[in-house]
Amino acid sequence: MSWGSLVLESGKVFQGQFMGQKESVGEVVFNTSHSGYEEMATDPSYYNQILVMTAPMQGNYGESNEVWESENIWIKGFVCLEIQQSTRESSWQQKLNANGCPVFHEVDTRKLVLHLREQGTVWGALVNGVDEASIARGQEMIAQNKASSSQDWTQKVCTSEPYTLEGKDKLGPKVAMIDFGCKKNILRELQKRSREIKVFPSTVAASEILQWDPNAVFLSNGPGDPSFVDQGTETVKELLGKKYIFGICMGHQVLARALGGRTYKLKFGHRGSNHPIRDSITNTIYMSAQNHGYAVDEKSMPSDIEVTHLNLNDNVVSGIKCERLSCASVQFHPESHPGPHDAAKIFEHFAQQARQC
Amino acid sequence: MGKRKDLKKVVLLGSGPINIGQACEFDYSGTQACKALMAEGLEVILINSNPATIMTDVEVATRVYVEPLKIPFVKKILEKEKPDALIPTLGGQTALNLALDLEKEGILKELNIELLGAKVKTIEAAEDRAKFSKVLDDVGAKYPKSIMVKTFEQGLSAAEELGFPIILRPNYTLGGGGGGVAYSMEEYKVRLATALHESPTSEVLVDESILGWKEYELEVIRDKDGTFVVICSIENIDACGVHTGDSITVAPQQTLSDREYQDMRDEAQKIINAVGVETGGANVQFAVDPKTKERVVIEMNPRVSRSSALASKATGFPIAKIAALLAIGYTLDELKNDITGTTLSCYEPALDYVVTKVPKFSFEKFPGAKDVLSTQMKSIGEVMGIGRTFKESFQKCFLGLENGDSLMTPRALDEKKISYPNSERMYYLFQALREGYTVERLAEMTLINEWYLEQFEDIARMENDLKTNELNAETLKKAKRLGFSDSSISTLVHRSEIEIRELRHKNNIRPKFYKVDTCAAEFKSETPYFYSTYWSEPDPVQQNPDTILLLGSGPNRIGQGIEFDYSCVRSVKEFQRQGFKVAMLNSNPETVSTDYDTSDSLYFEALHEETILEILFQLNPKGFVSQLGGQTPINIAPKLIEAGFNMLGSSLDSMDLAEDRGRFIQICKEFGFKIPRSGMASGLEVALENMKHIGYPAICRPSYVLGGRRMEIVEDEKELISYFHRHKNFISEKSPCLMDQFLDRALEVDVDLVRGPDWTVVGGVIEHIEAAGVHSGDSMGVIPPQRLKEETCEKLQKLSVSLAEQLNILGFLNLQLAIKEDQIYMIEANPRSSRSVPFMAKATGVPLVNLGVKAMLGLTKDKVQPEKYKWNRGQKTAVKGVVFPFKKFLESDSILGPEMKSTGESMGRGSNYSEALLKALVSSRFELPLKGEVFLSLRDKDKEELLPAAKELEKMGYSLSATGGTAQFLSDNGVSCLKIKKVHEGRPNCVDRIQSGEVAFVINTTSGKQSVEASFGIRQSCTVYSVPCLTESDAANAFLLALKKHKEGDFEVYPLEPMVK
Repeated sequence: MSWGSLVLESGKVFQGQFMGQKESVGEVVFNTSHSGYEEMATDPSYYNQILVMTAPMQGNYGESNEVWESENIWIKGFVCLEIQQSTRESSWQQKLNANGCPVFHEVDTRKLVLHLREQGTVWGALVNGVDEASIARGQEMIAQNKASSSQDWTQKVCTSEPYTLEGKDKLGPKVAMIDFGCKKNILRELQKRSREIKVFPSTVAASEILQWDPNAVFLSNGPGDPSFVDQGTETVKELLGKKYIFGICMGHQVLARALGGRTYKLKFGHRGSNHPIRDSITNTIYMSAQNHGYAVDEKSMPSDIEVTHLNLNDNVVSGIKCERLSCASVQFHPESHPGPHDAAKIFEHFAQQARQC
Repeated sequence: MGKRKDLKKVVLLGSGPINIGQACEFDYSGTQACKALMAEGLEVILINSNPATIMTDVEVATRVYVEPLKIPFVKKILEKEKPDALIPTLGGQTALNLALDLEKEGILKELNIELLGAKVKTIEAAEDRAKFSKVLDDVGAKYPKSIMVKTFEQGLSAAEELGFPIILRPNYTLGGGGGGVAYSMEEYKVRLATALHESPTSEVLVDESILGWKEYELEVIRDKDGTFVVICSIENIDACGVHTGDSITVAPQQTLSDREYQDMRDEAQKIINAVGVETGGANVQFAVDPKTKERVVIEMNPRVSRSSALASKATGFPIAKIAALLAIGYTLDELKNDITGTTLSCYEPALDYVVTKVPKFSFEKFPGAKDVLSTQMKSIGEVMGIGRTFKESFQKCFLGLENGDSLMTPRALDEKKISYPNSERMYYLFQALREGYTVERLAEMTLINEWYLEQFEDIARMENDLKTNELNAETLKKAKRLGFSDSSISTLVHRSEIEIRELRHKNNIRPKFYKVDTCAAEFKSETPYFYSTYWSEPDPVQQNPDTILLLGSGPNRIGQGIEFDYSCVRSVKEFQRQGFKVAMLNSNPETVSTDYDTSDSLYFEALHEETILEILFQLNPKGFVSQLGGQTPINIAPKLIEAGFNMLGSSLDSMDLAEDRGRFIQICKEFGFKIPRSGMASGLEVALENMKHIGYPAICRPSYVLGGRRMEIVEDEKELISYFHRHKNFISEKSPCLMDQFLDRALEVDVDLVRGPDWTVVGGVIEHIEAAGVHSGDSMGVIPPQRLKEETCEKLQKLSVSLAEQLNILGFLNLQLAIKEDQIYMIEANPRSSRSVPFMAKATGVPLVNLGVKAMLGLTKDKVQPEKYKWNRGQKTAVKGVVFPFKKFLESDSILGPEMKSTGESMGRGSNYSEALLKALVSSRFELPLKGEVFLSLRDKDKEELLPAAKELEKMGYSLSATGGTAQFLSDNGVSCLKIKKVHEGRPNCVDRIQSGEVAFVINTTSGKQSVEASFGIRQSCTVYSVPCLTESDAANAFLLALKKHKEGDFEVYPLEPMVK
């Protein structure tokens, strides 16, 4: 353990305790969820991101492979005020380090979050040192890696080959999943309600899906800027009107683009478990888990697209529906993990729709 | 949507006098609700019998009734006011139970009044354990196996089925009253009998034990559309088996995984919906088996609670305010989040800090009471600490607790004190850590979760580092971040506190004041609600010449409670009117003063020299105010002045003159006041010498005490020797024992006055109902005086005013005087706002606190117009009643003496003394029996005095019984009386008679250590069986007067009149 720095592209440097073998670089984002650090770290949507936890005490309840949302720890760094360093049982800190993820703690995370909130999301580097050379090294790392933002990140995290999963509902629909960086819990929720799922990489061609002939197509969450996810968008465009389509998060943004809409970058994103959603389909308000840095621009949408869900904090579009083309999507995470289960009914809704197709 | 248009007038029920389990958190919730409803343009009618509250200030509601929270009185108010609706969910269990009674008697239906917030069905589904179990079954929630028991026999068979240990929970009691844990059949039988008696419905739920499980509470809110949010999760550090009010708790919860937490959240939502909570705040308590992760539901409350006050302060979410607005028809998305000002109330707060609450206990006030924590709440107050880490917040609590000892004070290792929950366990636990006990071993001994023990271990490790290594800036910073106070560090490194402070300042190790913003910095927040932390860099120093730092009173305790919060809160408005901004500092989460919108800015910090100084250094205000928060700020003031800050009002010298017994006596003598003969003694020898001129009986007490701690009347030399033996640790050269002649049978009065530079206003004279010898906080009082001669009253006011001048008071002065044979004796002076101020202000209409502020700011006579304020112009008589916690401390004697033991007060207002008395007694939860047997056991000197009362009782149709001497005396004087055996005379004796339910009430006067001990059983059984027990002859006479009024049955209800403007 030694003093290290979080170097931001804005020029700001935060000092803290650096733990780990490797220095790293990524987009710096913060999440306000109180719990669920392990689910977050293994969520592919955090690819290339350094995760700042606003909740100060981390690692409190140890670690468990059972809660992983994918096969990897995707985050580039775990930043918090204090992390439990227990000799009592397996520790989260050790697991992060063992998986090549640096831990950066004893850092004034509130000040950091205030900075991110004011400046917007920036790139940053975690370096093991506080001297000028280290800081220069950090800036260099940012300069070298930042350009990767203009790539389709979903290709970096999705499955390379298609695979199938057996569903638990014999009478349920057959579901094609386009994997943009799918969280396991979306698959678990779908498995409960379908007879078979086939997971395709984000670069899959529409024909391949149509050939498998599912009842519906599901678009998963995933990392990065949706405006670079061109191949996925093309595929979805081709599927529109042919299959019932439902998307979550990146899937929502890709669907919006396929429908002719645009996406834009939020200043500092929505990441947390307490985002209020007004659902105008069920006419209810509930708490949602969110993790996105981009959003769908309502004004850019064709007129037959209905905005069905709104984030009540800032009125960002959080769900859309198109009756004509038989598709819908939500920006938030009904699969939770972490976060509240309030929106889990959306999977019911999807299964019902899919069964009719 | 928005609010309902059909609601014009609503009644809000308060929670009555403060007692254990129901304290000023309901003043906070009620005040917040009143403010919110008034702002909505509704007519708000408030009913609460507790005059010490802020909510009963006449400006808080449209009309305020300080009347008993009992059916006949409330019914009369409802008939008079004809409201559209009644809100029962903001006044604790008292309000909820009262609402149920009103419904059962058909009063609500008859008057066409709607219950808002909770319907009767909902209240019953949550409160009636059998119905609640059914709800849990319906939603698939688990709960500990339990059996409803209505008789002793049923209880015995239930125990056989469940096995030990067993938890007992009587139905419909507050703070778990009458409940407890039984580990053996023997113990169980005793507890079962009590519990059956305690429950108003004679129903006790006997629970399978979940001792050792982790305990949680979720504070939730729901609106009429079904939108559900969790405001806060709270985790108890003490495992199940300790009442959550007595447990150290942490928010948000720290040791649940997301999956465990979300499942709990789901279950809470299902339960709230199934119970039928339509709108408002509620809480659900859970237990989780740390090994299997199995979860059970312990209970739920369909109302705001002590924990919701804590949750509001911990998160910034104003639960009571929102609950009130939801009750009148709003939905969560229609209400703004006050703290951010930009987002809505339909969200779940995200915290980037940790909050800890530590209860404050007063076992030392109740000799004989066992310091064992169980399912029955015993604590009388709490402190909350906010820190960036658990360790920082945890240590802040102990700094604010004012327990004398810090966690760092070594103690003799005592495994026993660690192995069961008690009020001092944490101190012993730290000693064990100091001596190398491992986390594993301590986890086994205490059942405290390892995560917390590891946190404690970190603290102990730093303690050791400080002790063994040279102190440098780096270690100092680390220690500060772990929450170590300068004073703890100074003790550990053997350097002065000032040296530590200087080292700190030299290295710029100062606190940063971060905001509580409900959203972990995600949104901008303009609300200046602050806590300090060493996990950042300090802010630049400010200059605030228009700001006043107001020091609150810290955790509630006996002798310093809600009355001081009243003074603080009321003063804020006046300071603002005079053009100042107020920064409030307090550590008590139950209070109105720690509501973020009470003052201009709020510092949630310990009332401790170091913390206050750092805020002063940072703010540089015009000055600080120490007269309003009780004794705590007065004790700290000298250090603040020494550091160069300005204190408003009376100078340090004036305060010292009044506080220092020796100097004060000197002044009184010079001044020509009568004072009791007195002396000071640093030890027994001097004391014995002193008694030669003082004479027995005498009052003994250590210097600088609050609420009469360790104050006793000694009747003879034997008792004097015993006194010095028992209290030798508190008596020394530096803090000598003060000895005063005891003015036997004297009449006592309280005088509160305010003095400005060229004016004085006397706020009132409260005449004590009990004679001298009962602490002023424990004696009932009446205003205007009933027995005091007019001329004496005039004279004592004149003397008081001159004394205030002599002491050069600027602000408040509270005097306690005794009158014997027309002579006025000075007993005590307090240069600050006092416990009696709110009662007096409400009884007289003199806005004492506002005047006090004007006085401290130096406003002159022409601006204040003091002649307007006459305290005795009113037509009403007001009686202060008193509430005691003896039921929670059954092993301790309930006899009243010079050490204060009451937790709360009530007020009865009437067109005459007897009406006021009746109401005060009813409000103090006295049962006034209309018939039955009165048992008397009187000491010799009271026999003559109470003879007329005995005759009167006989005439009123009561039968009398008495022990030997008293019975003989009464018979000799023509009163027929049944003779009953004393306890040591065999059986059946008087205690058996009380326990068998044959006695309606008891008059038992006694004195002298031996007789007091001999008659303890009488008072104890009265406490257990809720039989009124009068232990003083004047109180007995007053009780008789109230009984007569009660028999007549006629009374009126009166709203408070506005204060003099």
